[in-house]
Amino acid sequence: MSKTITIDPVTRIEGHAKITLQLDDQGEVSEAYFHVTQFRGFEKFCVGRPFYEMPYLMERICGICPVSHLLASAKACDVLLAMKVPPSAGKLRRMLNLAQVIQSHALSFFYLSAPDFLMGMDADPKERNLFGAMRKNPELGRGGIRLRQFGQQVIETLAGKRIHPGWVVPGGVNEPLTIEKRDKLLAQIPEMIAIAQKALAWFKIEFENFREEIRTFANFPSLFMGLVTPDERAGYYEGKLRFTDSHGNIVADNLEAANYAEFLDEAVEPFTFMKFPYYKPLGYPGGIYRVGPLARINLVENCGTPLAQQEWIEFRALERGAVLSSFHYHYARLIEILFAIEHIEEYLLDPIITKPHARYSASLNNLEGIGCCEAPRGTLIHHYRVDEQGLITWANLVIATGHNNLAMNRGILQVARHFVRSEKLNEGMLNRVEAVIRAFDPCLSCSTHAYGQMPLQVRLVSAQGSVLDQICRGS
Amino acid sequence: MSRALVLACGNSLRGDDGVALQIMNHLQKAGCDPAPEFHCRQQWTPELAEPISQAEIVVFVDAALGTPPGAVTCRQLQPRPSTSLGITHHSSSESLLLLAEDLYGRRPARAYLVTIAGEAFELDENLSDPVRRAIPEAGVLIKALLMGITVTED
Repeated sequence: MSKTITIDPVTRIEGHAKITLQLDDQGEVSEAYFHVTQFRGFEKFCVGRPFYEMPYLMERICGICPVSHLLASAKACDVLLAMKVPPSAGKLRRMLNLAQVIQSHALSFFYLSAPDFLMGMDADPKERNLFGAMRKNPELGRGGIRLRQFGQQVIETLAGKRIHPGWVVPGGVNEPLTIEKRDKLLAQIPEMIAIAQKALAWFKIEFENFREEIRTFANFPSLFMGLVTPDERAGYYEGKLRFTDSHGNIVADNLEAANYAEFLDEAVEPFTFMKFPYYKPLGYPGGIYRVGPLARINLVENCGTPLAQQEWIEFRALERGAVLSSFHYHYARLIEILFAIEHIEEYLLDPIITKPHARYSASLNNLEGIGCCEAPRGTLIHHYRVDEQGLITWANLVIATGHNNLAMNRGILQVARHFVRSEKLNEGMLNRVEAVIRAFDPCLSCSTHAYGQMPLQVRLVSAQGSVLDQICRGS
Repeated sequence: MSRALVLACGNSLRGDDGVALQIMNHLQKAGCDPAPEFHCRQQWTPELAEPISQAEIVVFVDAALGTPPGAVTCRQLQPRPSTSLGITHHSSSESLLLLAEDLYGRRPARAYLVTIAGEAFELDENLSDPVRRAIPEAGVLIKALLMGITVTED
């Protein structure tokens, strides 16, 4: 008798979702579905608005990574104006993006996932939470809070607000960085580097306790995609798109993000509002690829900053080709935090960063614009069309989390097949199914352009519709 | 280190939910003795645990569901774990006191939650009339708390 298990909603991720596991007559998991159950439709209600409003409308998609939407949107508007931004503004924008990476990764690693690492996947959820984790390892907790504070402080210092800042404008940024503010940020760099290095040292020992999870958490061959700069660094703000395979071979390179429709397509499935992007030449679903920290570290041959480079070498030594286990998104996230701190220091030490001229002006020169950057969770593309008056006539957003949709669904199936073995649900099984999703750090608010919060319900339902078992968590 | 901390929580785009921000502005204009450090957030997050740990008194200010609209209530707080398991990037006032103690080894000697009952939380930058009228009362209460007048019941 076939049965269905539903996890609704999934906890400790950003947004609303549920998971359904279909069991076959032998009680083995035969199918797994990750349902994203929210919808807001930003692409529709921005139609008719002036293009210069778009950065501030679009950043409202998300309260965790508004900076990424702000930047991708502003870059699309730069194209509409047919202009480059002043050198100082370019570097300030890059720094803002890296600060976003730090604060978002710190949230994911220290707040959302550290409870699993510290308390164990099978621990009682009453203890396996932020507060339990921080009580168990206060030094790690304080470090995570400081890293997030630092990322937010850089954003606030540059852009005036921690969340939904309006500082990035088409043509540049609307206020330069003062020397006093620069020096305050610079003074914190050594402490932040020390915290990131300590966290890495701790995690490199800790993850040895999760061998089974490493082996089964979305650990399969796939392509990886991300922006790469001409000097082979991951291109958080600029660069061209690269695809590599699971052996680390380059499948496609130097792809202009503006031509994304030539090599990316999006499938839709009836069970979710989140689309399924895939690499067009390999079709659907064969064109499965992953983005985000794991992809970015797999894609490049040079991390680009001294301390992160050492960590990158160690990370890449985990596998002969690409590192395939999505559990290692966590590890990659910590390396990216270290890289971002070092890279912010490089920008702060560059005299250009405090130059007063931070914005150029122009009027509308193009009727179509595409902006791309690397959000914390992966490649983000904003694509707009406008009329002669500059009013938006069409918009398409290709969101970081969406790129990973195929991989997340396949990952749930892999984990469930390994851990779900009976009709009786238990907490550890349920948490592992969630944790594989958590490893990707999906932002469903972004991917459906919606927001929300997630309590959790798991149901085991027979083919006839009767509930055989159920676990619920409060919101 | 500021010995007094006022933490205002709310969203000024959601009607009465923004009342704490207006109260904070009111207090800043009116002046307080002792002068507190003000923080204004849309959520209370773990990053606030450190400044909380350094304060002698902390007053959390927030809008609340309740009746009648504009009713100002005050409750003394004790450290307590969060009951919300699914959400880890925002926190309750009690759980932040606990976090301050766990992570930084101390918490304020006195901590209060001042709430103002709201009636309209839809998209709006304006407060409803009863909530707007409650701002001076809430301001007087918070100033009294900062001066050391103990409040033990709603």
